Amino acid sequence: MSLIKVTVDDKTYEVENGSLLIDLLIQEDVHVPYFCYHKALGADGNCRMCMVEIEGQKRPQIACDTPVKDGMIVYSKGNKLPIKKIRKDILELELINHPVDCPVCDQAGECSLQEYYMEYGLHESHMYGLEKVLLRKKIDIGSNVLLDQERCVLCARCTRFTDKITHTHELGIVGRGDEACVTVMPGRRLDNPYAMNVVDLCPVGALTSKDFRFVQRVWFLDSNESVCTGCAKNCSIYIDHNKLKYQDEKIYRFRPRENKDVNGFFICDEGRLSYKKLFEDRVLNSSHVNEKDIIKSSIEKASNIAILVGASLFNEEIEMVKEFAHKISASLYCPQDIYIDEEFEDDMLRSKYKVANIKTIQNMGIKDSLPKAYDLVINFDHPSVVHVDAKEIISFQTYKNDLESTLTIPIASYVEKSGSFTNIDGVTQHVDKVIECDKKTKTISEWFERLEL
Amino acid sequence: MRDARLVSKRFSLENSHTLKVAKENGVYDEALKRAYSLEPLEIIEIIKQSGLRGKGGGGAPAGDKWELMPQDDDKPSFLAVNCDESEPGTFKDRQIISKDPHLLIEGILITCRAIKARHAYIYIRGEYKQFQDILQSAIDEAYADGLLKECDITIHRGAGAYICGEKSALLESMEGKRGHPRLKPKQKECEWYFGNPTLVNNVETIASVPYIIEHGAEGYREYGTEKSPGTMLFAMSGHVKNPGVYEVEFGTGMLDYIEHFGGGILDDKKLKAVIPGGASTDILTADEVKVAKLDYESMRSIGSALGTGGMIVMDEDTNMVEALKNLLEFYHEESCGQCTPCREGTGWSNKLVGKILDGKGSSEDIDKLLEISDTMNGKTICVFAPAVSSVINSFIKKFRDEFEAYNKEALI
Repeated sequence: MSLIKVTVDDKTYEVENGSLLIDLLIQEDVHVPYFCYHKALGADGNCRMCMVEIEGQKRPQIACDTPVKDGMIVYSKGNKLPIKKIRKDILELELINHPVDCPVCDQAGECSLQEYYMEYGLHESHMYGLEKVLLRKKIDIGSNVLLDQERCVLCARCTRFTDKITHTHELGIVGRGDEACVTVMPGRRLDNPYAMNVVDLCPVGALTSKDFRFVQRVWFLDSNESVCTGCAKNCSIYIDHNKLKYQDEKIYRFRPRENKDVNGFFICDEGRLSYKKLFEDRVLNSSHVNEKDIIKSSIEKASNIAILVGASLFNEEIEMVKEFAHKISASLYCPQDIYIDEEFEDDMLRSKYKVANIKTIQNMGIKDSLPKAYDLVINFDHPSVVHVDAKEIISFQTYKNDLESTLTIPIASYVEKSGSFTNIDGVTQHVDKVIECDKKTKTISEWFERLEL
Repeated sequence: MRDARLVSKRFSLENSHTLKVAKENGVYDEALKRAYSLEPLEIIEIIKQSGLRGKGGGGAPAGDKWELMPQDDDKPSFLAVNCDESEPGTFKDRQIISKDPHLLIEGILITCRAIKARHAYIYIRGEYKQFQDILQSAIDEAYADGLLKECDITIHRGAGAYICGEKSALLESMEGKRGHPRLKPKQKECEWYFGNPTLVNNVETIASVPYIIEHGAEGYREYGTEKSPGTMLFAMSGHVKNPGVYEVEFGTGMLDYIEHFGGGILDDKKLKAVIPGGASTDILTADEVKVAKLDYESMRSIGSALGTGGMIVMDEDTNMVEALKNLLEFYHEESCGQCTPCREGTGWSNKLVGKILDGKGSSEDIDKLLEISDTMNGKTICVFAPAVSSVINSFIKKFRDEFEAYNKEALI
């Protein structure tokens, strides 16, 4: 790897020889419009929007297909060439057959075409007296994805995704010229575990998610960084949520967040839709109001105690539970079998452990099962009922389960608290609290404080 | 005008497509013997010295292209012969494959020896079924005669897309994908077919090779000009008395050619314009045709290009707006749809000229056409859009008054 010097708009940068100019521009926040380029998919060079001027070249060049060279001088806004006008003209061509239905388009607010129009276009239509090309709208192509061929800018990100990333080849472009359109291959449906990523990849409103469409306008959403806890991969995501007047705080969608150490650019559909389960089957209230007295007396009268700890807890919480176990001389264990789904695992992102923090349980050497029966088992968010052989059970849990507990205490889900998870590859990610939890639901540390444990 | 039939000399013989007639008239003889006595690099050197230029439209020196093929590579090399011939006004390759297919096969054998290829593909446009059958039977005859021991020849039939005549789109199509031109490499290199080094040449280029090998570079240079040596099959269609394909040497005057072979303009009308080298070259006015010479440099100096050498002749009664509309309908249909400027620009300009023809246009529409053509020029992956751009530009610049005559105000 050798570093070379490239000058962009009078600023000099050191970059790796042969890397793409557009990567440098994106990295250094030099504004450049583009539809087809995507880091995960590489250059395709079809949208022609990322035109820049390079000294010594008489024609404008697309930054996505230009490897940097030592001493290259780039004018992102043009020096001798009217780059702004060129981008405007190409954008106008992109728009002539576009329905311009932003007010009813679900992509509005996060649409590249709309943003670039506001930046470069702002012109009246020159299409008076001419008919637009009409194509098919609202095609259900499968996997919760709806296709509107008229809004499509034919950047081919979606088809390249199914060709290069999932290798499932469901999508293709058919037809020539302005009749060219994206479609599913004959007799097929978009059907792979990562299919919904095409919705994020689509820079315009051509591919929208049935799950999110018309549910919220994106400008009313707050976005927070978080991770997906659908499996032990802990894919980095954004959680889009808001709190409308007189309503509870609500999560509307998960979107993948680029993280080269964990998930790259994508997430699986199951993980993406796992937000729905966050508030299902929740334990909302303690089963008894005098939790403190019950726990105290139970611990006092039990001659042997086991603590069941779940892999859905944060590293800090597992540590805390471990300390607590030590304090009351209890045995700590976490049966892992219940989390395993061999069929779920694939060679892309999905791990067979369908829980976030199994790595920490393994790293800490927490036992998988206990050999004997106990007087008291205190459960911290483990879903297991299989191996509990106890006279009495006290359970701190987020979701309902079949444990016959003497006392059930609700705890917050991971989006309602802060902490860290370590994924199956050993990467630890900190997760901030995204939304406020219900007053009666507390985090484990809050309960420890309140119950004086 | 001297006889310069180097490629077309057997075209008028009866049954010229059969192996028997071909062999009796010198195919598979001296040229092949000489080629087999030469080393590959020596053949390439002769082609370089001869100055043979690609006859598919671009006119790039063939030898330079051959030289880019690796001589010692683990991967197999391929030759792809471009017989997609879909440029409007061009119909020379089909004459070669139907009148003298064995000349092409001989050329392929020599070329494959030079680039060390063991397999040649002939990419033929789907509409050429009857010519393909003739070519296939010639190949079968050559196989039966044991001529194709050194290399195999396979015909690959295209599905009729214009853009598949572009060399990288042709290879994409041959690989079974959509015929989309590839992004251009950053340095000079050969083409790639399934990742293997490949040479793509036009039928006529390959058919010119045997003469050069037989008579040497100097023999070829006896014809033509210094920079455009040799001959070319020029095709002529439109308002002429004898349309057809006639081989002449480079440097011949365009008007001489039209009068000598074409017998002048149909019904003895006046000449109005000529599209010189297939539809995608700048149209020439009658005055320009008078000075035009049929070679690459002269054509460039008068602001057009030699292209494929397929001339479309138009008489004084031709409506230039309708002529442009006709061409734009073709380009609108044939744009592959990959790059935005071309995909949308061809359709829009076609619609705009339609609007002008309907009498609903205005001067702004004509200016908008020029603006669209400017956006299409030099901003796409391949040269399709720049060609459309130059067609629109040349029609409007040279015949703007005819476009203005259709304007709303003018019609009232």
